[in-house]
Amino acid sequence: MLTVLSVALSLFLFTTLQTALRELTQPATSEASALRLVVRHKVSLANVLPEKYQSRIERMPGVMYCTPFTWFGGVYKDPQNFFPNFAVEANKLFKVFTESDIDPKQLDDFIKEKTACVVGIKTMQRFGWKLGDKITLLGELWPVDVELTIRGIYYGGIDETNLFFHHDYFDELMGKKGLVGTFWIRATSAEAIPGLISRIDRAFANTDAETKTETERAFQLSFVSMFGNIKTLIGSISTVIVFTMILVTASTMSMAIRERAREIAVLKAVGFDGAQLFGLILAESFGLAMAGGALGCFGAWALFSNVDIYTLSRGFFIKFEVTPHILTSGLMIAAGLGIVSCLVPAYANLKTTVVDGLKELD
Amino acid sequence: MSQPIVQIRDLTKIYSHGEIEVVALNHVTLDIQVAEFVALMGPSGSGKSTLLHIIAGIDRPTDGACVVHGTDVGSLGETELAGWRNHHVGFVFQTFNLIPVLTAFENVELPLLLTSLSASERRAHVEAALELVGLGDRMRHLPRQLSGGQEQRVAIARALVTDPTLLVADEPTGNLDAHSAAEVLALLQTLNRQAGKTVILVTHDPKAAAYAGRTVHLEKGELLNGNGQKP
Repeated sequence: MLTVLSVALSLFLFTTLQTALRELTQPATSEASALRLVVRHKVSLANVLPEKYQSRIERMPGVMYCTPFTWFGGVYKDPQNFFPNFAVEANKLFKVFTESDIDPKQLDDFIKEKTACVVGIKTMQRFGWKLGDKITLLGELWPVDVELTIRGIYYGGIDETNLFFHHDYFDELMGKKGLVGTFWIRATSAEAIPGLISRIDRAFANTDAETKTETERAFQLSFVSMFGNIKTLIGSISTVIVFTMILVTASTMSMAIRERAREIAVLKAVGFDGAQLFGLILAESFGLAMAGGALGCFGAWALFSNVDIYTLSRGFFIKFEVTPHILTSGLMIAAGLGIVSCLVPAYANLKTTVVDGLKELD
Repeated sequence: MSQPIVQIRDLTKIYSHGEIEVVALNHVTLDIQVAEFVALMGPSGSGKSTLLHIIAGIDRPTDGACVVHGTDVGSLGETELAGWRNHHVGFVFQTFNLIPVLTAFENVELPLLLTSLSASERRAHVEAALELVGLGDRMRHLPRQLSGGQEQRVAIARALVTDPTLLVADEPTGNLDAHSAAEVLALLQTLNRQAGKTVILVTHDPKAAAYAGRTVHLEKGELLNGNGQKP
């Protein structure tokens, strides 16, 4: 039982780490996201771009829609209540992020009212907000607070946690400085993207605010690189976990076989040959390992399917899906563990003669 | 006289422990007839258990021949020998050696799992064996739920269930009280006299040896009278 629990705990941890790695290094994508580009300051995401770049970008071949997209990073009452919030061009937002759904009337209300905002359903549910509620976001990054009225709820898309409000309102509060964090573009086609990337960056080369244009996926992955070589780190931890499991299970099997040396000798005496006994030992080892593997892997799947990781991680993980691939990897490790851990002790015991085996533990 | 069921010729067994060699059996020659009940007696270290182990095919001679029911057991490979034991030898050990997590029924059934008998046929054999030893009402009991004497009778049933050529017992009463020991020895005697089983018993107890039809004495690896006949 303890061996099963040991394997289960190790594979639970392995499954969790692999899922975290996947969520960090393979950001969720959609068909619509494949057509989106992000234009940011070449030096750093913290640097801003002039809003006048938008009109020039919109005139470029291959651009269907373009919206300014500025991280506001405001706080709702308490810093622990983190959720992403952005200033955008209201009538372009859902033309760029086409996979999200919003009631047309709510969208219209959002567009018409400068202090309106739209919120993702997850954040609405998290705080128990309703349409028409007034909320204030305290500026942390910017020296202004925004007072907003919720006019729309959006569903679907990759992230249902964001809040979007008018960039005009933000500009007004900032004193019309015309600053933009990034521009998000919807391209006309996938084929247009490579040319569009180079065209945009060439257009603003040798200016005070040179640009770096990249696909949405590349942009998301650039955040992961801030964590350092997380793949190597998690890979190393996972290797240590698997190696430790092998040692523990092999040790347990070795003890179990040794304790049953007399029983194995009796089975030999009544006529079980080496191959049959090896099969029995292997079946036990395999069974223990798979029981632990199933408990750990499916336990992780069940837990993360029913727990709100977004809330627990305070938005760090939008979702935390244990995929069939990860489950299969975990179960295959358990299977391999069951086989490998019994090889040496089984071989050693099967080489023991019946007479010597009957003398064991006398 | 018909061919002996066990023919031992010039049998020698030497155990090597590094540079030290121990001669457990020294040029032993012995015949055992069909349906005999033979007791191998001798002090500790006389080689009686070693001789029994070689006859039963769980040890190999260093030199000489041991032919059981026409088969030179020393010439068989490991897998062949395992199969040979399953068909021809029934073991009864001093410490019973029942599998603790299996019921009496399952313990007795173990040797039959290696045969081609169906489940219902195996059941019939097991029930018959347990009835024979007087434990037909204890089939579902675990070893820990049985007395020492009952456990040994289950072990005898396990030894009998394949209808083996030989029934070998190595100090079967060593862990039993006098009453249980007498029951077990009487059972072995009954199996010999009424069922015609060839029984080879290793013991250091003259009272146990008295149940046998013939006693063979060993000392320091040699038969005392040199020709295997009752002294």
